[in-house]
Amino acid sequence: MTIEKSLLAVFSDLEPAADAIEQLRHLGVHDDCMNVISGVPVTEAMLGRPNQWTNVPRLAMGGAILGFIAGLFLAFSSPTSYEIQVGGQGFAPVPVAIVVVFELTMLGMLLSTFLGVFLDSYFPNYRPMHYVPEVSDGKIAVLIECPQADEQKITDALKKLGAESVQMAEAQHL
Amino acid sequence: MSDKKHHNPEEHFREQHLMLDPMPRGQMNDMVMESMHTTSWKFWVVAAILAVISFIGLGVDWYRLIMEGQGLAGVMRPDYWGIFLVNTVFWIGISHAGTFISAILRVFKAEFRRPFTRAAELMTTFGLVQAGFSIFMHMGRVWLSYWLMPYPNQRQLWPNFHSPLSWDLLAITTYLLSSTMYLFLPLIPDMAMARDRSTGWRKTFYKVLALGFRGTEGEWAHLRTAMNIFAFAIIPVMFSVHTIVSWDFAMATRPGWSSTIFGPYFVIGALHSGMGAVVMVLAVVRGTMKHMKYFIRPEHFEGIARLMLIISMAWAYFFFNDYIVQWYGGDKWTKTLLHWHEAGPMGWMWFAMLIFNIAIPWSILWNKKWRSTPWLLFIVGLLINVGMWFERYIIVPISVTINRMPFTWRLYQPGIEVPMGIGTVAFFILLYMLASRLVPLIPVWEVQEGQMAHSLTKFGRETVMTVSELE
Amino acid sequence: MTTIDLNMVGAKGALVEAAEGKWGMVIDQDLCTGCQACVTACAMENNIAFVGEEDAGYGRSMHWIRIERFWEGHYPHVKMTHYQPMLCQQCGKAPCEPVCPAFATVHSQSEQVNVQVYNRCVGTRYCGNNCPYQVRSFNWFDYNDERINKAIATLKHQFNPDVTVRRRGIMEKCSFCIQRIHKAQDKAKSEGREVADGEFTTACAQACPADAIVFGRVDNPESLVSQLMAEGHGVQHLSELGTLPRVTYLVGGQ
Repeated sequence: MTIEKSLLAVFSDLEPAADAIEQLRHLGVHDDCMNVISGVPVTEAMLGRPNQWTNVPRLAMGGAILGFIAGLFLAFSSPTSYEIQVGGQGFAPVPVAIVVVFELTMLGMLLSTFLGVFLDSYFPNYRPMHYVPEVSDGKIAVLIECPQADEQKITDALKKLGAESVQMAEAQHL
Repeated sequence: MSDKKHHNPEEHFREQHLMLDPMPRGQMNDMVMESMHTTSWKFWVVAAILAVISFIGLGVDWYRLIMEGQGLAGVMRPDYWGIFLVNTVFWIGISHAGTFISAILRVFKAEFRRPFTRAAELMTTFGLVQAGFSIFMHMGRVWLSYWLMPYPNQRQLWPNFHSPLSWDLLAITTYLLSSTMYLFLPLIPDMAMARDRSTGWRKTFYKVLALGFRGTEGEWAHLRTAMNIFAFAIIPVMFSVHTIVSWDFAMATRPGWSSTIFGPYFVIGALHSGMGAVVMVLAVVRGTMKHMKYFIRPEHFEGIARLMLIISMAWAYFFFNDYIVQWYGGDKWTKTLLHWHEAGPMGWMWFAMLIFNIAIPWSILWNKKWRSTPWLLFIVGLLINVGMWFERYIIVPISVTINRMPFTWRLYQPGIEVPMGIGTVAFFILLYMLASRLVPLIPVWEVQEGQMAHSLTKFGRETVMTVSELE
Repeated sequence: MTTIDLNMVGAKGALVEAAEGKWGMVIDQDLCTGCQACVTACAMENNIAFVGEEDAGYGRSMHWIRIERFWEGHYPHVKMTHYQPMLCQQCGKAPCEPVCPAFATVHSQSEQVNVQVYNRCVGTRYCGNNCPYQVRSFNWFDYNDERINKAIATLKHQFNPDVTVRRRGIMEKCSFCIQRIHKAQDKAKSEGREVADGEFTTACAQACPADAIVFGRVDNPESLVSQLMAEGHGVQHLSELGTLPRVTYLVGGQ
């Protein structure tokens, strides 16, 4: 069994980071063992990385459906628990229901979109993590998990490609 | 471009456009952090005065209003509704600016929005807080307002969803929650930025709010997707909120109110006052906070002012549309109401509304130089807001004077709602000032993203700005 | 076979319009002398608050019935028109009802009147705003609390025990003296009969020295109210709004 090591390479720009990722792939590091940490949203295409999977749209749709059902309940079921007539209108008129259902659908959708970010990104998370604060200064960090045997080889390759620093990543409190 | 030929077009462009004047990210971070930390004694003096005014308006006066009764306000028969509802509509209107700027301009990829989306979104949240206060001030028995919540609160009885006020409750709650979430999502990376460069209690504050954000590919992907969904979905919510507010009036059996155009007319009116308020806030932020002259430039004022001009024209269009249909109908009560608006004792307000909302914006904002001048725009924004407050005042207490029972007609005289209304204004400014010390007002990562995407390209002999799509 | 519940799809309105109502009132403006006896009697019967001179002058008087006076023409050719007692019209399709978010004003299906539920009211005042007849009065202060309104200290002993004393922040309006309706119905029921026409009447009708106000069952063609309504010169105020008012005004009769 090999011992997994985490390396954190910091690049000053997109170009060398993208080159490094390609090089890492040649060195046998699988895409799943890499992660890029950046201070601006860098798209997968820019770095030549596979697309990220996100559940947020599906959760949003699910929330919208739940909100829609809640709206239908408020509009059509809640008046039946105590029937009161007002202004000669029906107990649960459709025009009124449209307003209620619309608002609850949107509320359900937006709430679950928001919660979706929390679920997908494991927020809030205050445990120690691999991180360098320079990232928010615009640097791009590549986090690599590799067998201990390959560590030296990878470090040298990254340095050659212009990494500002390559260090053993240590989980720390942010 | 400008008629003044610069010897070096690139230098000229850099001066003009934030997006073409990139700075290292670290430097921008430091500038934004410094702008939060630099607080002069004048800030605290103003904050203290505002705190006192808010305390009197929202504390002392509200306590008296609750303990003694709505009679302290100027309401009576037939003016059951007074300035509290004027303020509710006004504050909801102000809150529309944030969503308009950060959602609609994001959807349409208007690049000039980048540095001030957060400043506008903060207005949305804080404006809605004031709107909430105003509507609760209005209620005769506010201590029972939980009966309006959608749950079977007494003998299996739910609230009455036939009432536009119930729709309002649902819509405003949805809007307050979603606009706060929409404020928070793009704030997470900036909170992480602030976390990385602060110490002490601020470190703890930012650490908690940054939620452990690092900026991994996954985090960005989820965040970007969510912001995209929000940008599209919050637009219909925003329209529905002010449309439903307008239905509080349009659904009523009253001359002058029963109008099908009230929905879009109110939405445009909300944007009119909201944009005016955004421009005021930006002028103050630029003038008083450190380093803000780099981020907020005349080009941004120019962009907003162009929207203000268009919105002013749209407002005039809807106003006239409402007016001429009511006038042409010839109903005797409506005719009396229109006459009361123009020639009644508050006629000055009707004309001031037209001058502030139409004449002044149109006569100033057509000129590119004038509309790039922050102090001038501050005045225009202020007048538009006064004009829009007048508009709501005319729609609520002045219009309800005229009903179908002439024996009851009586002019409204405001009472305690004036200091309480001033209290909401003071509290809004106070919240904003405190937030400007705690929240990075500039979304740094969005500015950097924009700067990455912008470049200069030469077509023949002309140098032009180009934007590439990074998504 | 499936049946469609019309109540659920908003078609109920048409059915209500067909309903003719139960209790009704006829006010003969030709007979009204504007003496305000009805206003006083109503205030006594229904514990209506005295708001004082200043508030009354500012439109805060809380009377459930008021005598409206109008003048025609310009000075010096001024002609007074008929006095017009105005009270809640107990609409069959009341605009005040649907706009209340708390169901505090609702249509009573058993009595076919518009009822105000005081302890449910949260004071949004939407109903007052939406009433085309402007007959709803709001408790702007605790007028019935002697700590606030000194004048009430001696007057509180004449409160009617059958009627709630209302506190600040709620809306109220004419109830067609529903306490009297219920009393008469209970009495008739205990004696095993129907309520007879003229057996009881509202406080305003009882006090009217000119007998200008008549109260009774509009769904009974034999009642005095129905007969007066059938005379042909009755009008219902703002009937063009489709509110189905239950009060008919007689004006210009012989």
